[in-house]
Amino acid sequence: MNAPLRLPSPRGTFRVWQRNMTIFRKYWKTIMFPNFVEPLLYLAALGLGLGAFIQEGGINGGTYVQYIAPGLLASNAMFAASFESTFNTFVKLKIDRIYDAIVTTPVNAEDVVAGEYLWAGTRAALYGTGFLGVLAVLGFTFSPEAPLISSPWALLIPPMLLLIGVMFSVMGTLFTSLIQRIDLYAYYFTLVVTPLFLFSGIFFPVENFPAPVPQIAWFTPLYHAVNVCRELATGPSPIVLVDIAWILAFTLILALLPIRFMRRRLIS
Amino acid sequence: MSTEQKRGVRARESTLVARDLRKSYGEFHAVRGVDFEVYRGECFGFLGPNGAGKTSTMKMIYGAAVPTGGHLKVAGLDVTRHERDVKRRIGVVPQENNLDDDLEVKENLLVYGRYFDLPKKVILRRAEELLDFVQLTDKADAQVEQLSGGMKRRLLIARALINDPEIVVLDEPTTGLDPQARHLVWERLRELAKEGKTLILTTHYMEEAAQLCDRLVIMEGGRIVSQGSPGQLIDEHVSPQVLEFRSRDGSLEKLWALVEADADAVERSGEVLLAYTSDADELLEKVRASGIEVENTVYRQAGLEDVFLRLTGRSLIN
Ligand SMILES: Nc1ncnc2c1ncn2[C@@H]1O[C@H](COP(=O)(O)OP(=O)(O)OP(=O)(O)O)[C@@H](O)[C@H]1O
Ligand SMILES: [Mg+2]
Repeated sequence: MNAPLRLPSPRGTFRVWQRNMTIFRKYWKTIMFPNFVEPLLYLAALGLGLGAFIQEGGINGGTYVQYIAPGLLASNAMFAASFESTFNTFVKLKIDRIYDAIVTTPVNAEDVVAGEYLWAGTRAALYGTGFLGVLAVLGFTFSPEAPLISSPWALLIPPMLLLIGVMFSVMGTLFTSLIQRIDLYAYYFTLVVTPLFLFSGIFFPVENFPAPVPQIAWFTPLYHAVNVCRELATGPSPIVLVDIAWILAFTLILALLPIRFMRRRLIS
Repeated sequence: MSTEQKRGVRARESTLVARDLRKSYGEFHAVRGVDFEVYRGECFGFLGPNGAGKTSTMKMIYGAAVPTGGHLKVAGLDVTRHERDVKRRIGVVPQENNLDDDLEVKENLLVYGRYFDLPKKVILRRAEELLDFVQLTDKADAQVEQLSGGMKRRLLIARALINDPEIVVLDEPTTGLDPQARHLVWERLRELAKEGKTLILTTHYMEEAAQLCDRLVIMEGGRIVSQGSPGQLIDEHVSPQVLEFRSRDGSLEKLWALVEADADAVERSGEVLLAYTSDADELLEKVRASGIEVENTVYRQAGLEDVFLRLTGRSLIN
């Protein structure tokens, strides 16, 4: 059972990505719409609604909307990649048996997993880029004195969202590779995704919490993703490199595990 | 190679060689050491009751299962060491349909062709030809879900050919097809054989095996119980003539006792007693003389079905 470590081939990875892109291009308008609306709802309800009760200058000297907007970019990428690597991947794996057909071609099981990582990242980046555009326009239109995106470094946000998407895809795929029933995703979303969403510094700075909350947050992925997006949206300090390094290391270390488990499920 | 040549007359070039091939799922041994050799350009069949290990063997050939023991060379390449190269040279029709439901009929072929890194032009041309080959041209733009079961099966066959494979593995290609569609598939498979492709197929239809296969093996319980050409198998295992007696339970017992002495072999399959003999007239005469009540008697030549029944102790009808 000590199968050799198998690394994905770039070619096979691309073919799997390309298959998903072929389908996405047919339906992208309908697929993307909800992902677009959801963060706007958060912005309206929390940023404008709740924000009205928060004194100006309360967080980092900006308005509350300014504070949460970049964080929502990160969580949007998390949700996009998480849905892709959980429900969508499960359906392809167990219900439509798409992967069974692919692994009988020169595309191997490890390419399938890597292709799905890359695809989830792509989707996260696509959603995020649209959302970033909306934020930039909204900010400049309604409050030019306090724009939501205020730095040209924000141009680096889309590639970062790709990386963030890949990271959450690795986590979601790991869970997918271990479960047999689709209802078990309730655990993943309730116990992993939602707590990350609430406690990663999107809505309030976790640094102000008593120990060990900030320390725990440092070991979780969305916290760093939020930091990166916020820094890039407002003009980064060199500290952002630590967050990026954290994301890269976490992703690389974890990425091989789902590849191994998925291979075992696809090749008996 | 040299050992092959020493065999003299039978030294045809083999494209697939299995030696003591085994497959276990945990503690369960699905394939328990099989040896077979498939020659280039022939049609090679696998028969056997449900659970005999046919699909497990096919999966090892097309890389969806890793052998637990023994050796398997496909197109001259070891399957465990040259996984990708083997898969590049074969076409696969799996037992379970796994078409891409998110794609249209023709797109299924286009996307599948890309997995083989074929140039777009080549894929487009072959997709057209193959849709025509399996008579699905008018469904090219339909959703896969809108196809009937038989059409899906035919699309799977077209998909298996997109990379112009030298070996085509077909796991029950005609299961669920109506007689017309089945004959169409047979005709197509014969054309492929004529083109020089090697066909490896499993089937539960004896007629299919007899019509298509140059040689075949019969599997049971993870082992090969016999192999040869359809004719050889019939000669080897059953007498040329068969009498089928249909009757009520009680008299079948009596009948068995009566014919057992004269027939070469007697089998029972449900309400039918089968007597194998080289002199059917004499046996029939004896049964008539005995006065045992028989509802219906059929005389026919022995076929593969009889070999199957003989070797696996099971009737295909059940
Ligand atoms: N993934 C698996 N895990 C455990 N057991 C399996 C697995 N696949 C097959 N088996 C078992 O291995 C045996 C052989 O199965 P296989 O599918 O090879 O049979 P088959 O000859 O193709 O049968 P059929 O004619 O019904 O298609 C069966 O007993 C089956 O239950
Ligand atoms: Mg089978």
